[in-house]
Amino acid sequence: MRGKDVRLDQVSIRFGDATAVQPTDLSIHAGEFFSILGPSGCGKTTILRTISGFIEPTAGRVLIGGEDMVGKGPNERPTALIFQNLALFPLMSVAENVAFGLEARGVAKAERLRRAQELLELVALGGYGDKKPADLSGGQRQRVAIARALAVEPSVLLLDEPLSALDLKLRQHMRAELRAIQKRVGITFIYITHDQGEALAMSDRVAVMSRGRLEQVADADTLYADPATPFVATFVGEQNVLRGTVATLSDDDAAIDTPVGRIIGRAKGPLKVGDSALVLVRPERITLGGTDDNQVPARLTARNLEGAAVHLHCAAPAQNFTVTVTNGPEVRALPDELILSFSRRDALVYPEGTLAHG
Amino acid sequence: MGSLARAYGRPLAAVIAGITLVWILVLILVPLGAMLEQSLWWRDAKGDVSLQIDRLYNEISTLQLDRAGAADPARQAQLDAAMAQKQAEATALEAQEKNPPKTYGLDNFTRMSGLHLYIFVRTILYALMVTGLALIVCYPVAYVVALASGPRKAIILTVALIVPYAINELLRVYAWLMILDYRGVINGVLAWLGFINLDAREWIPFLENPSAVFLAMIYTYVLFMVFPMVNTLETLDRNQIEAARDLGASTLRIHRRVIIPHAKPGIAVGCIMTFMLSAGSYSVPAIMTRGQGGDWFSQLVYRQFYESNNWNMGSAYAVSLLVVCTAFILLMMRLFGVGLRDIAK
Amino acid sequence: MSSSTESAGARLVLNIYIGLFVLYLFLPLAVMSAAAFNSFDYPSVTQWRGFTLQWFVALAHDQRLLQGLANSVMVALGVIAVSIPAGLCGALILTRLGQRSGTVLYSVLVSPVLTPGIILGISSLIFWREFGVPGGLFVAVMAQSSFIASYAMLLFLARLQRQDRTLEEAALDLGASHTLVFRRITLPFLAPTCFTAAVVAFLQSFENYNTTVFAIGGEWTLVTEIASRLRFGLSPVINVVGVIFVALTLIAATTYVLLKSRPAR
Repeated sequence: MRGKDVRLDQVSIRFGDATAVQPTDLSIHAGEFFSILGPSGCGKTTILRTISGFIEPTAGRVLIGGEDMVGKGPNERPTALIFQNLALFPLMSVAENVAFGLEARGVAKAERLRRAQELLELVALGGYGDKKPADLSGGQRQRVAIARALAVEPSVLLLDEPLSALDLKLRQHMRAELRAIQKRVGITFIYITHDQGEALAMSDRVAVMSRGRLEQVADADTLYADPATPFVATFVGEQNVLRGTVATLSDDDAAIDTPVGRIIGRAKGPLKVGDSALVLVRPERITLGGTDDNQVPARLTARNLEGAAVHLHCAAPAQNFTVTVTNGPEVRALPDELILSFSRRDALVYPEGTLAHG
Repeated sequence: MGSLARAYGRPLAAVIAGITLVWILVLILVPLGAMLEQSLWWRDAKGDVSLQIDRLYNEISTLQLDRAGAADPARQAQLDAAMAQKQAEATALEAQEKNPPKTYGLDNFTRMSGLHLYIFVRTILYALMVTGLALIVCYPVAYVVALASGPRKAIILTVALIVPYAINELLRVYAWLMILDYRGVINGVLAWLGFINLDAREWIPFLENPSAVFLAMIYTYVLFMVFPMVNTLETLDRNQIEAARDLGASTLRIHRRVIIPHAKPGIAVGCIMTFMLSAGSYSVPAIMTRGQGGDWFSQLVYRQFYESNNWNMGSAYAVSLLVVCTAFILLMMRLFGVGLRDIAK
Repeated sequence: MSSSTESAGARLVLNIYIGLFVLYLFLPLAVMSAAAFNSFDYPSVTQWRGFTLQWFVALAHDQRLLQGLANSVMVALGVIAVSIPAGLCGALILTRLGQRSGTVLYSVLVSPVLTPGIILGISSLIFWREFGVPGGLFVAVMAQSSFIASYAMLLFLARLQRQDRTLEEAALDLGASHTLVFRRITLPFLAPTCFTAAVVAFLQSFENYNTTVFAIGGEWTLVTEIASRLRFGLSPVINVVGVIFVALTLIAATTYVLLKSRPAR
C-alpha cells in the first residue's frame, strides 16, 4: 500500500442556495496523517464526502495522486471511507464485511477470506471472523471497520469522526492505535473531527475549518502557539479575550487600549490605529507577580483544582481572567490581590473577528 | 431521479423507473382513461336506419317492375341509373347499420333512468349509514384494544379481530345468508319454537328486504374501521389521559379533547375505507340477493357489462361511482385535516 | 398494567361490549362451520340430521371448485410476480424523491387502494379488450395487481424508512458496483419485506371478489365460483370451504400469538 496526495483546487460546494464550502485550496501530502478540525456544520464532512466521491463539487477539482477525479464515483476512487456510524453490514459476518471490498473486485472466495483473516489479525480480531457485527463491542466494531477499509488497499483512508461513539477511555486508546496503524501501512489518512484533542494528538498537520472556510493549515504546535485567526486561537485551547481599540502600531507590536489599561502585544493581521481589536492571552502564559511587559492587577475569585494544574479565576475591572498555574504549596498560599503579568510575545492582537465560542 | 441514479447507478435506476412507469401507465392511469373514454361515447343503433334500408329495397323492387314493363331504351337506361343509385344508398346504410359511428358526449351520464338514479343515491346513502354506524360501533372497540387493556389482552383481542377480518369476505357474507335465508337459522329457531312452519313455507323473507344487504354489509366491513383507529390510538401516550384526568377532566371531556383529536387520522382512514368498500361492494348485494334484486348500484354496473352488454353505459355508471368516492375521500381529508401520507399508514 | 382511566363500572360495561362485539364477529362463522358437518343437504344448524364428513368428500370430487382453486393459486402467483417488483420499484423511487414531486407520485401510486374494487376490474377489462385480450385469468391478474402493488409498495416504504443509507454508501465506497450494492446490501435488507409482501399479495389476491368478478370473464376462481353457486341455492360444500378457511386462519393466528407472546430476549 502506498499513500497518495490529495489536492483540492478551488473546490466550492453549494446545496441549493446554501454554500457549504467556500472556494478552497488544500494540499494533503502522501502518507500524511491529516486532520480537518471544526465545529459541527463547518463543512468538514462535506469536504470528506467530496473527496470520497459522494458529492460532486459545484466548482473546482479534486485530484488524488495528481489524477483529476471528476466524474468518478466513490467506487472508482482509490479512497476508503470509515463512516461515523461505521456502517458495518449487519447481515454479513465480520469476515464477510472485511472481504466485501475484495468480493467487489472479483477476488475468489478462498483468497478473499484468507486476506480478511490477515487483516483481522492485524487489528487483533483474528478469532472473530464468524461473528456478526452486532455481537462485538464498540471498540471491536471500530477495528472491523478499519480492517474492512484497509482490505481494498486504498491510497487514502478517510475517517469521519469514527471515535465519537466510544467512551473516553476507549477513545484515547483508539487514538494511539489509529496512529500506529497509519505508521504501519503508510497511506494517507484524512481524519475529520470536532475534538481538538484528537486532532492535535494524532495528526502531522491539521486544517481548522469554520463556516465553510479553511482558517489555517498547520502542524499542531503552530496552531497552538501561532494561530492565524482569532477563530483558530479560541477553538484550539483556551484564551483570555480582551476587547479594545488600537492606540499605536510599531513593527510587529501593537498597543491596545482595553478596560484594564493599555496592553502591548503581537499584531496578527492588518491593523490601523483606531480600529477595534481583540487581544488573546493563553491562561498558562500569564504569571503571577511577574514583571513582564503587561501587568494587570486583579482579585482572585475562585480556584479550580485539576490535578497537576490549577485554574485561577481572577476579576479585574470589567474583565475576567483565567490563569493556569502548576499545582504546588504556593498556590494554596496565594493572596487575594494579584498582579497578572504576561509578555508582549504572548499577547496576540487580531482585528475584530469571529471567535469559536461566541 | 438524479439521486436514484446516484444510489443505484444509471442502468438499475432506469429499470426501477421503467417498471414503476409501466405500473402507473398499464395498471393504473391508462385503464382508467380507457374507462373514461368508453363512458363518453355511444353508437347510434337507431331503428330508422333499418327502416330506410327497407324502404330503399322496396323502391328498387318497384323500379325493377317498371323496368320489366318499359319498352323505350331511354326509359330503361333512366330506370337502370335510378336503381343503381338506390342500391348504392342502401349499401352505404347497411355499412352504417353494421358499424354505427361513435358519437361523443355526456349522454351516457344524463340518460340514467329515474330508477337507476334512485338506486345510485340510495346506495350512497346506505354506504354513508354503514360508515357512520361502523364508526360508532368501532370506536369503543378500538379504544379498548389500543388503550384500555394490558399488552397480553391487547394481543389476544387483536387476533380475535384479525381472524374474522382475514376470512374471505364472501364467506362472511355467506354466513349471514345462512342466518337470514328462508330455511336459515332465524327461521329455523322460530320454527323450532313453533311460531312458523317451514314445511308449509311460512318463513319470514328476511332476504327480500333491502336491510338484509345493509346488515351483512356492516358485518363485512366493520373491521376496516377498527384497524386504522387502533393503529393511531396505539401511538397516544397514555400519560396524556392520566394527565387530563389528573387535571379534573371528565371521561367524556377526555375523549372529546384528548383521545378523539389524536385518533383523527385513523377515523378519517377508517371512514374512507368503509365508505369506499361499501359503496363499491358487489359481493354483499350480489350474494344476499342471490343475483336477483337490483338494490345496489354495483349490481346495475355489472348488468350493464354482462347482461345488457352496454359497456358505454356501464363505464358511465362506474365513473359516477368513482367520482362520488373521490369526492368523499377529498371531503374527509379536508374535514379531518389529514394528508394522503397519513392515510396509507 | 391496565390503565386505571375508567371506573370499575365503566370497565365492566366496556368489557361486556367487547365480548358482545367479538361474539357478533364469531357467531356467524361458527354457525357456518358447524353446518358443514350436518348431514342435512341444506346447510343448517337448526335442522340437525347427524354428524357427517360427506360434504368434505363431495368437495374433493367437485371438479369446478378444484379447478377454481387451481385458478386462484395461478392468479395469486401472477399477482405476486407483477406486484412485488412494481411495489418495490415504486418504493425505491419514492424514498429518493424530493418532497413535492414525491407527493404527486405517491398519490398516483396509492390511489388504487382508495378506488372501489369494481372500478379497477372494469377499467382493466376495457383496457385489455383494446388489445384483443378478453376477460380471463390474465386480466384478473392485471386488475388485482394494480392495487395489490400499492399495498406491497406501502410495506416496502415502511421498511426503507428504517434503512441505514450509509450501508449502501459504504459498499459503494469499498468499490462495489451499483448492481452488487443492490444485490448484496439493498435486497438482503428488503428480503423479509419481500416475503411479507408476497404473503399479503397472495392472500389479497386469493380472496378478492369485487375486482375479479368483473375481470374474470368466462373463467372462474374459487371465490367467483362460490359466489355464482350461491345464486342457485346453498350447499354444505360451500360450508366445507368455509371451515377450511376458518381453520387455516385460526392456525395462522394461533402461531402468531405464540410467537409474539414468547418472552423477548
